[in-house]
Amino acid sequence: MQYTTDVRLIRLMCTGRVDPTMVAEAFIEGADGIMVVGCHFGDCHYISGNYQARVKMGLASRALGYVGLNAARVAFKQCSSAEGDRFVSHVTTFHDSICEIGPLGSAEKLPLPKLKDRVDTARAALASEKLRWVEGKFTEFQNNGNKYGEKFTEHEMWRTLDTIVIDEIATHGILKEMRKGAASVIELAERLEIAPPAALKYVLALQRRGLVGLAGVDGATPSYRLVERPAKAA
Amino acid sequence: MAEQIRIGVFVCNCGSNIAGYLDVKALAEYAKILPHVVFVRENLYTCSENGINEIKAAIKEQGLNRVVVASCTPRTHEPLFRGTCAEAGLNPYLFEMVNIRDQCSWVHMQEKEKGTTKAKDLIRMGVAKAALLKPQEPIQSEMDPRALVIGGGIAGMTAAMALGNRGYEVTLIEKSGELGGLLLKLDKLAPSGADAVAVARKQADLVRRHPNIHLLLSTHIDEVNGYIGHFQVSASTNGSKTQFGTGVIVVATGARVFRPAGLYGYDGEKVITQLELEEVFKSGAFAAKNVVMIQCVGARNDERKYCSRICCMVAIKNAIEIKEKSPETGVKVLYRDIQAYGTENEALLQRAKELGVIFIKYDPARPPRVEAGKVIVHHDLLGREIELPQDLVVLSTPLVAGEDNEAISKLLRVSLDANKFFLEGHVKLKPLDFATDGIYLCGNAHYPATVREAVSQALGAASRASIPLSKGVMSVEPIVSTLVDEDACRGCGLCVALCPYGALEIVRGEKGRKVRVIPVACKGCGICAATCYHHALSVNSYSDAQIGEQIRAFLEESA
Ligand SMILES: Cc1cc2nc3c(=O)[nH]c(=O)nc-3n(C[C@H](O)[C@H](O)[C@H](O)COP(=O)(O)OP(=O)(O)OC[C@H]3O[C@@H](n4cnc5c(N)ncnc54)[C@H](O)[C@@H]3O)c2cc1C
Repeated sequence: MQYTTDVRLIRLMCTGRVDPTMVAEAFIEGADGIMVVGCHFGDCHYISGNYQARVKMGLASRALGYVGLNAARVAFKQCSSAEGDRFVSHVTTFHDSICEIGPLGSAEKLPLPKLKDRVDTARAALASEKLRWVEGKFTEFQNNGNKYGEKFTEHEMWRTLDTIVIDEIATHGILKEMRKGAASVIELAERLEIAPPAALKYVLALQRRGLVGLAGVDGATPSYRLVERPAKAA
Repeated sequence: MAEQIRIGVFVCNCGSNIAGYLDVKALAEYAKILPHVVFVRENLYTCSENGINEIKAAIKEQGLNRVVVASCTPRTHEPLFRGTCAEAGLNPYLFEMVNIRDQCSWVHMQEKEKGTTKAKDLIRMGVAKAALLKPQEPIQSEMDPRALVIGGGIAGMTAAMALGNRGYEVTLIEKSGELGGLLLKLDKLAPSGADAVAVARKQADLVRRHPNIHLLLSTHIDEVNGYIGHFQVSASTNGSKTQFGTGVIVVATGARVFRPAGLYGYDGEKVITQLELEEVFKSGAFAAKNVVMIQCVGARNDERKYCSRICCMVAIKNAIEIKEKSPETGVKVLYRDIQAYGTENEALLQRAKELGVIFIKYDPARPPRVEAGKVIVHHDLLGREIELPQDLVVLSTPLVAGEDNEAISKLLRVSLDANKFFLEGHVKLKPLDFATDGIYLCGNAHYPATVREAVSQALGAASRASIPLSKGVMSVEPIVSTLVDEDACRGCGLCVALCPYGALEIVRGEKGRKVRVIPVACKGCGICAATCYHHALSVNSYSDAQIGEQIRAFLEESA
């Protein structure tokens, strides 16, 4: 039983411990691929940790994929502690696919600093309250339906999650840009590579939440900036 | 002033297990240049008495306040090295283990150079984490010295008796109106030939008369909250509710016999199950002249992949019973594989053959067909179909998981396996415990068992359960979740909803709604810490900072 020397292991009590932002941070630190390996479903030593991990890693790969990272760099795999062969096969398959994609940045066709900056936006989105709730409640919704008793298929769940991921990434991208200074909607749209009407929608939503305010009007173009918040915000 | 970190690194050769495949000298040299490392030692076997003494001496003489051992797996050796640290006066949670054997030398046997580079990385990562380790104290809590046993079959009754005899107060809850379980429906028990009902009744009498056993028949468990030492149970008996506390819980809820509706013309009269055959024996109405038994009905197929273990024994037992009652009755057993394990079952099989029972192997790809007055089966050795006359067909069907298993698994937060039987904590090392502390299992609830096996498991489960009961106070590994930033917590309750162990609760205090960890119930999985968007919760020895530092240490050189 032999496998590649390219892999390093980090021991955790349970895959449920893996915060998706850790995955984003590892890419910012320069990892080429991250694989989370846990127990089989129904066989989790910690009862439901692997279900959480499945959704968290699915979300991480979607969010990171959305900002331009090759989504195949994130994997969630399962094997029991008695299945050494399966572990080796997971590592080997993953390693092969990473070798095919190449080192971080190459498949993405983006300069590393830019890619890492975008991954950082995805990291902020993955840390957001909204994504934490949908990710946490995913399995329950899928099994028992929401509070109105509606049940969702796997596909429907991920489709809903995708739209939330896109919204959160754009929102956090805007907040990050504004930390650099006031900007107009057109400027934000250009920098984030999204359509101006979409950018406007996000800016107005942030304004309603009191996070963003009007900075001034340059000719006919309003510009926005972050609202200074008292240290102890609610 | 912050304490100065002094890390000692011990690199184990593990004989040739590590030194044969990695350059351990280079590893030891490398460890010396790592941040905070003040002492490095290479050992032939770090776990030997010599190695252990070297660790102890270094802690004292070098003033080490963190110890890293780069050797084998923490599964077997972490407790030993932690104990070593503790004996030398160092908090055992200031120890970190790096696995350069299972994760390195053994899996890179042909790549000494690259394997050594990897081992250096692993050691660097371990040292980086060790620098951030914090001392932990074991968590202690008082034990409610009472026990709850769920299920009044032979397993549950046996466990209740064993616990009662040890002097613990036991509540035994049985959902039907009667003690005895499946045994009440059986005739004689293999291999002894004892009367099943008599066996069950005898045990039931002892249970009923036992001063320490509180029996609740026709009772349904509504709710279980809490954790080892402090469970709160609500149950209802014919609509009237009771509530009580217990320290441990034994699950002995048995299994059900699969009803082969739609298979082989099953009708419950001319085509019956082994269980129904035993009922016919008991009523004295057995009169068939030609019996054909079919094994593995509804078992070992795509839907139910497992072998139910007891059915071959049951078929052989009942075939013998028929031959003894009525020697002229023909008995044919159609089987896929006969599992007559152990000396007694093998003896029974031989006895059945002596009595003239005929065993015919069938191929699951060409299963037997039941038609009016006959069963047709393809005989492998003859290479053609043969017809067997019959006036009674008996189907051996598997035991399947109890109908309440899913509900109980939710109530108690314990796992089920793929077939919905209860899943033990560890196949080899914890066969009678659940992964959740303070809950144990025995009998058919776990997997089809004979009476003897169910009884042994029940005695074992009772003795496992009495370990925490006898201690009065229990202490738990402090690798648990902690509220590290109370101000950050908004009491949203997401972590509470996701905790698999009910180890978190929201309490209202001076600062408003805040989460509270119940450390004795927590197993340290970390779902809460990975979910809290305010980073208010963390897991001891697996904090964001510690894991993050390992990641950074890994990538710092390659970056
Ligand atoms: C046809 C047949 C023949 C057999 N012949 C033999 C034999 O010859 N020799 C032999 O050694 N073994 C034999 N066995 C196996 C034997 O029946 C089992 O070993 C034994 O019954 C296991 O006991 P148990 O207590 O685990 O489960 P059970 O006997 O099933 O008892 C479980 C009890 O739990 C109760 N219960 C279930 N759910 C709940 C709940 N939610 N709350 C409270 N109570 C609950 C049930 O009502 C039941 O009383 C045979 C089995 C079958 C089916």
